[in-house]
Amino acid sequence: MRLLLVEDNVPLADELIAGLQRQGYAVDWLADGRDAVYQGQSEPYDLIILDLGLPGLPGLDVLAQWRAAGLATPVLVLTARGSWAERIEGLKAGADDYLSKPFHPEELQLRIQALLRRARGLANQPTLEAAGLHLDESRQCVSRDGVDIQLTAAEFRLLRYFMLHPQQILSKSHLAEHLYDGETERDSNVLEVHVNHLRRKLGRSVIETRRGQGYIYAGSVA
Amino acid sequence: MKSIQARLSLGLVAVLVVVGVVLAQLTLWLFEAGLQRYLENGLRKESENLLVALVRGPSGLQLDERRISAAYQRPFSGYYFRIDFDQGTWRSRSLWDLDMPKPAAPGLSDSHELGPEGQQLLALRADYRRLGQDISISVAQDYSPVREGFRRMQQIGLGMGLVALILVLVLQRVTVKRSLRPLERARQQIAQLQQGQRSQLDAEVPVELAPLVGQINHLLSHTEDSLRRSRNALGNLGHALKTPLAVLLSLASSARLEGLPDVREQMRAQLEHIQQRLARELNRARLAGDALPGAQFDCDAELPGLLSTLGMIHGEGLLLERDVPPGLLLPWDREDVLELLGNLLDNACKWADCEVRLGIAPSDGGYRLWVDDDGPGIPESQRLQVLERGSRLDEQVDGHGLGLGIVRDIVEAWGGQLALLQSPLGGLRVSIDLPRRVR
Repeated sequence: MRLLLVEDNVPLADELIAGLQRQGYAVDWLADGRDAVYQGQSEPYDLIILDLGLPGLPGLDVLAQWRAAGLATPVLVLTARGSWAERIEGLKAGADDYLSKPFHPEELQLRIQALLRRARGLANQPTLEAAGLHLDESRQCVSRDGVDIQLTAAEFRLLRYFMLHPQQILSKSHLAEHLYDGETERDSNVLEVHVNHLRRKLGRSVIETRRGQGYIYAGSVA
Repeated sequence: MKSIQARLSLGLVAVLVVVGVVLAQLTLWLFEAGLQRYLENGLRKESENLLVALVRGPSGLQLDERRISAAYQRPFSGYYFRIDFDQGTWRSRSLWDLDMPKPAAPGLSDSHELGPEGQQLLALRADYRRLGQDISISVAQDYSPVREGFRRMQQIGLGMGLVALILVLVLQRVTVKRSLRPLERARQQIAQLQQGQRSQLDAEVPVELAPLVGQINHLLSHTEDSLRRSRNALGNLGHALKTPLAVLLSLASSARLEGLPDVREQMRAQLEHIQQRLARELNRARLAGDALPGAQFDCDAELPGLLSTLGMIHGEGLLLERDVPPGLLLPWDREDVLELLGNLLDNACKWADCEVRLGIAPSDGGYRLWVDDDGPGIPESQRLQVLERGSRLDEQVDGHGLGLGIVRDIVEAWGGQLALLQSPLGGLRVSIDLPRRVR
């Protein structure tokens, strides 16, 4: 899952990025509203966290420009101005959720999880469930038939992306774009290694290879 | 305070009556004086004629009957004389058997004497000396017709004066009404202002009214400006404090403090405390209260946005219904009402299983708002306690615990009543009675 964080307060951004990376998200960070307008549209983000008080261009205008350009990525608005009047304005401008500062980091993580699942049309449950596997995002482990299986951070990221896009062919380049932030070197061999690790832990049939097209998540129903 | 119209009418009537009566009386008096002078000339000529008619006869003085006018012969003809001299008094035949008193002094005497047939006489006495004797000749003329004429003239004048007065009053009323129309319009606009149908008075007014309207408008915009300024300042302060607070909260739960669980707990608790205090005080301070007379909340325009926002926040599974009469306007500031309803509904949504219902209705002397949910509710024994603590109703669901506290602050600022009841949906009903604003 690749997120864009638009926040001008550097200490807060540092904290948020660290927290989000621990949760297995790839995070790109911008501090200026004008940059955000461009980059939000040019990169394939799965979710955008947008602060409203931005230099360059106010957050609400950034959001309005994205929505006017047809960007459908879920946007979580972050603001110090938490009155209901402003909240309604934000959601009218096209925000998908609203979190007012200050907030607990866990609250932000829960909202992000909920938004990502809602965007994929999945029910908001404590664990992510797809085709026989239950992924516990807070503990970063997967369970099958009640048996917990530990995952590394990279495996967790990969499996979560697969489970959020079940029955969908995902090419290597697509996966690389959504699993790594803009500054990480993208090496498709690394992906293959992680897919193999997952297969070893969860069984060969969990992820099928479609030659020339990419991978598809099949789960452990078989 | 009497109306300007009545005061103007009274003043005008007083002036018109005084001036009219004085003027009419003066005119009559001058006219009468002129007329009397004219008649006096005639009478003097008459008396001189009579003097000439006095001749020396065989037995002293004698009146030459041929030389005097026939009017003196006909009884009660309206022309009379008497001649007093040493030997006696002669009276004209026209006096018949009545006596005409001799005026006390020579000259014109103003018709005081009552003559025969109730005639009023204008008499002239002239004293002469002829044929060696003092002779006093009094000539009188019936003055009643002239008096009659004057009285009639007075009556006609009075009638015409009355008609003119009524006419003037009517015209004055029309004029005053027309010139006071801008004042009436301003009054209506102020009423609209209070009902929240406009935010400024129309500046197109006559010169006399312009300073007043200008002042009112200035005051209104000044109040609005300072409210907006202070809200902005509060928002800025909030922003300035909240972002560092968010950093601290994030730090407090970061892995770096893993080794110091005590410090971590302490920090979290204190930060939480600051956060709640800050949020509540900021909200309390930014309440507009009654500062703006034109404030109003349009239920039809605002509620759908609020409900869809809540629906978005709390997920699609929740049924959000409203039971609000169409076209209802609440006389409070939009942001304050949104804050109140938002917090109430948010609280209800956190607890509800699948249904939340908002009702607003005008009641005697105010409005009643209620929010129902089908959640677990609060046992009756605990309701008072919850209200007194006023805040942490939603402790388990969200980290805020502020919802009802803020609601209570707003309701108190508006002088309303908050009550927790059993909802017909099964959960909690928060019912709020708000009094209509007293202006």
